[in-house]
Amino acid sequence: MAGWGLLGRLGGRLWAAAPGRPLWAAAGASGDRGQLGFVVRHINSATWWHEHLSEENVQFLKKVTAEEYKAQTDSKLCPLKDEPWPLNEWKPDSIRVGVVAVKLGMMPIWTKSGKKHAVTLLKVQDCHVLRYISKEESGGKTSQLLVGGKNASPFYKSESAVEIFKEAGVPRKQKVTTFNVTDDAIIKPGTPLYAAHFRPGQFVDVTAKTIGKGFQGVMKRWGFKGQPASHGQTKTHRRPGAISTNKAAKVYRGKKMPGRMGNIYRTSFGLKVWRINTKHDIIYVNGSVPGHTNCLVKVKDSKLSTYKDCNKNPPFPTFFADGDEKLPEDLYDEEIFQFTDPSVTYA
Amino acid sequence: MAAACGRLLLRSAAAGVLGLAAARPALSGRCFSCSSYRISSDGEPAKFQPPPKPVIIDKQKQKGERRFLSPEFIPPRGRTDPLKFYIERKDMIQRRKVFNIPEFYVGSVLAVTTADPCANDKVNRFVGICIQRGGKGLGATFVLRNVIEDQGVEICYELYNPRIQAIEVLKLEKRLDDNLMYLRDALPEYSTFDVNMKPVSHLDHEEIPVNKLQVRMKPKPWSKRWERPKYNIKGIKFELPEKKMKAAQKWSQPWLEFDMLREYDTSKIEEKIWKEVSEELKK
Repeated sequence: MAGWGLLGRLGGRLWAAAPGRPLWAAAGASGDRGQLGFVVRHINSATWWHEHLSEENVQFLKKVTAEEYKAQTDSKLCPLKDEPWPLNEWKPDSIRVGVVAVKLGMMPIWTKSGKKHAVTLLKVQDCHVLRYISKEESGGKTSQLLVGGKNASPFYKSESAVEIFKEAGVPRKQKVTTFNVTDDAIIKPGTPLYAAHFRPGQFVDVTAKTIGKGFQGVMKRWGFKGQPASHGQTKTHRRPGAISTNKAAKVYRGKKMPGRMGNIYRTSFGLKVWRINTKHDIIYVNGSVPGHTNCLVKVKDSKLSTYKDCNKNPPFPTFFADGDEKLPEDLYDEEIFQFTDPSVTYA
Repeated sequence: MAAACGRLLLRSAAAGVLGLAAARPALSGRCFSCSSYRISSDGEPAKFQPPPKPVIIDKQKQKGERRFLSPEFIPPRGRTDPLKFYIERKDMIQRRKVFNIPEFYVGSVLAVTTADPCANDKVNRFVGICIQRGGKGLGATFVLRNVIEDQGVEICYELYNPRIQAIEVLKLEKRLDDNLMYLRDALPEYSTFDVNMKPVSHLDHEEIPVNKLQVRMKPKPWSKRWERPKYNIKGIKFELPEKKMKAAQKWSQPWLEFDMLREYDTSKIEEKIWKEVSEELKK
């Protein structure tokens, strides 16, 4: 039993080293788990949650939350019946709210002329309007609407951070964004938003955080040319070269240099909506979109004036599921080849 | 221990007794039904009971239920939402309902007819051997290769492209490898196929024949060093010196086959998707 003594001594030393963690040290000192007691536990074991709740409690809470989320979502399904805010007519200068969507990935589609396009699938998941901020309150030029997307667990946020969702009466969201809207396009908080908010043929802007590339050199980050690989180059192949002139005698602000690349918000402007799936709430948007798959993106009507004619008469202020409009499962742009049709021919 | 065992035994014995007791009424019930049948037969003229139809099991047909799921249905490994593959699959099935995409493998000889705005009769037909199948979902592709007028031609077709008007399988067979890109470096006779080739008949229930042809290569240099173990090519008859073949083994990575993280077992996914696809296609 010499091993026990060694373990005990080790445990004692660890205890002395980390007095701030009684739980962890106790596990080490109890010693009945053998060497496993000395493996550093995951930090989660020290949270309030793990200390005070038994396994049953956790399961119960999870179940209750799921039920509550469902009840909350169901109660919001009929915003029109529950005293909606006055609905206005669409005007050419009104700006609608956008939606928060999850990027699913890309796939090809074909037009009736046989041309192939790549599209990105964006899923509008649990998207709700959270709050209305008036022009005076926001201090900006327009009033704002807070919109959240994709339900998340309420347990990993403080009470104060979850308050906004409680006020709206919706589950906690993973992503909350602000949309600047005109006063005629405001929507009551708690209203769910769907993919049918957009229509095929219109153009949208998609904002998301790009994929982080870490600290990168000047060739990858800014597309500099670098230096030749051979012909007497020593230690100078991918370096920036000179960064200023003798006369300037300083480095200008904004000089392109190595540094962190990616992980910033970027917007792709003027992407065409090819198709909408109303059952699964999927928007098929032309081309690529910033961010990795499963990231949350912000989709809104294109602000480019070129596409103003295409964005006329949208569902205003948004599409209501219990409204008069009944939509088929799939809405297609008229140019899109549908797979129920026979093959394309050029006759 | 002994006491516990005894208790267990007792309990099992009790269960046995109970089971017997439960079985008895059932038995009697069956007897009763028999007797009732007899009574009715006594009372009324006995109805003719046709003997059960002999079930003929067609062994050939059973063999014929060879499951084939096109490889593009199996989603790649990753963290993508399965919903995305489901959505794509729906479109793929929809296309397959309208357009016949036959079963074929790398090594089969195909003829593909496409709509071509530049051709004289707006239709283009190409015959060649399938040397590669790539992509998953709607963007799946296959590459056909042929040598036409001493010039090697390869065309990459998209399987679900609506411009494709017909895919004919002229010769359904497999080769020793899953990728025949080495035909580029092989003698041209191995990738030369007659443009007016007649389709070779193949019965549905037959196993797919494997063509164990080993091709002879042009002299080096090749586009890839096919002798290296990375490619694991069986369909080449290497005519390299022994020394070179041995030197190529320097790049072998025999530990990779034991890497459990590289393992991607698709059998369960395949089963599920096959069921979904076949049910949808029957509708």
